[in-house]
Amino acid sequence: MLTVQNYVNGLKDNKILGTKCKNCGNIMIPLKPVCSKCGSFDVEEFETKGKGVIRSFTVIYVAPEKFKDKVPYVVAIINLDEGGAIMGRLTGVDPNKPENIKVGTKVKFEALVEGEEVVVVFRVDN
Amino acid sequence: MKEVDLISVGMTNFGKHFDKTGRDLLIEAAREAITHVDKGIDMKRDVKALCIGYFTPDLFEHQGHIGALSAEWLGLSGIPAFRTESACASSSAALATGYFAVASGMYDLVMVAGVEKMTNLDTPGVTNALSIAADDVFELTTGITFPGLFALMAQEYFEKYSGSWEDLQTVTLKNHHNGSLNSKAQFQAEISAIAEKTAIKKGVTFKDEMDFLKSKYNPLVAYPLRLFDCSPISDGASVAFLTSREISKRFTDKPLHIIGVGLGTDTISLSGRPDLTTSKATENAAVAAYKMARITPEDIDIAEVHDCFTINEVILSEDLGFFKKGEGLKAAQEGRTSLSGDKPINTDGGLKSKGHPVGATGIAMVHEIWLQLRGEAGKRQVKGNPKIGLTCNVGGSSASAMVFIFERGEK
Ligand SMILES: [Zn+2]
Repeated sequence: MLTVQNYVNGLKDNKILGTKCKNCGNIMIPLKPVCSKCGSFDVEEFETKGKGVIRSFTVIYVAPEKFKDKVPYVVAIINLDEGGAIMGRLTGVDPNKPENIKVGTKVKFEALVEGEEVVVVFRVDN
Repeated sequence: MKEVDLISVGMTNFGKHFDKTGRDLLIEAAREAITHVDKGIDMKRDVKALCIGYFTPDLFEHQGHIGALSAEWLGLSGIPAFRTESACASSSAALATGYFAVASGMYDLVMVAGVEKMTNLDTPGVTNALSIAADDVFELTTGITFPGLFALMAQEYFEKYSGSWEDLQTVTLKNHHNGSLNSKAQFQAEISAIAEKTAIKKGVTFKDEMDFLKSKYNPLVAYPLRLFDCSPISDGASVAFLTSREISKRFTDKPLHIIGVGLGTDTISLSGRPDLTTSKATENAAVAAYKMARITPEDIDIAEVHDCFTINEVILSEDLGFFKKGEGLKAAQEGRTSLSGDKPINTDGGLKSKGHPVGATGIAMVHEIWLQLRGEAGKRQVKGNPKIGLTCNVGGSSASAMVFIFERGEK
């Protein structure tokens, strides 16, 4: 069974892990332990290439306490090439020029270790 | 299944109650709800069970076990009492639970309530407390915030349909206008009045409302959303009494019948949704509520729609079937959702202007429907003798949705 800890460990190894339903082939990113389409508990680990495109983004100006010193920063939802989508921070863009950030731009995953946590970061693939 | 009536609603003023705890606010709302029972209620004799919606007293007040505590403070120790939690829809969850309890025939009168005491914490503290309604593993690690989640929806809406942040301000202006007519609202001021006050205080001038809304005095919170796109940090409580229809006339000749109840959920992670411009939870809840009530969206005279952020009022007004997908913004701009429009929305100022003590919001929405359908809404009373009203309260980024439909009783 793929647990949240496996997912986090995967990030540390620079991989975004999802799950694939063995019954109907549904690909789930973020990973789900139970198929969201057919309800099967029979799912297996699925490794993505970590590449995708920007689907939607925002620039955070008022942040929670632990991100306060990072503002402004960009958070986006990325559609992955294999299907499914995941939220991550976006780098390689200017947060002060949001009009220059375009939906559909290609990005690539990289893991960023911040203290105890691993942050999902996507870099604009120039 | 028994039919269920609403026999009274009460609420505190929404705003900053620095000198009160959550339980003090609950008592204040209960006191008003009791006085609103036309023929009187004997709490000790009549209340059979109590259900309190409170999102996170754990973080805001370092207090759990809210059911028993509330019963104790209301002088009702001994009766069944518990808390429901569905983020910002917590008191709609209490209302739903109360509905189930009365409809099942288990209890003939249930007291339902909502509370949130938020101002104990500073803004980063509140941001942190509210953030637990999002996914801790897949969302919060990125540094996303609630305004950020709704900003992602707004961006996708503008991309998929048309419209811009400027267009969204029609919701801000409308809800502040309505709130200026509501003595319980946190901000009882038009945007023009706020702009004028700011201009005097800062020694600047604004050409018009939009000039103010685009200025640094309305700073970006999560692009493209600015401060006035967001509902405020508030304290408050709300209370309602539900009875079986068989006994409601003992308490009032003017009850509201609860004719539709619909509940739904969606993935908590936004990235798990195929379309950010629609709330599946709300669509599911709305379809169920209309089906139960045997009516269509056209039959709704007035609605309270969860405008935690301006964009959400637009999206939900489409998901509720009031307008076609992608046409909610245009409808708002045409004035269709204003006090004098054909589908008045958030006549009390909405979360935006009335305030949003999250756990208290669902039943506070019912409070407005109660006033409007009984013709008691004063300066903001909508014309045409409204008969059917709807509340749509959502939790978090609309991962929970609860819709209730009310119809004015015979008299
Ligand atoms: Zn499957």
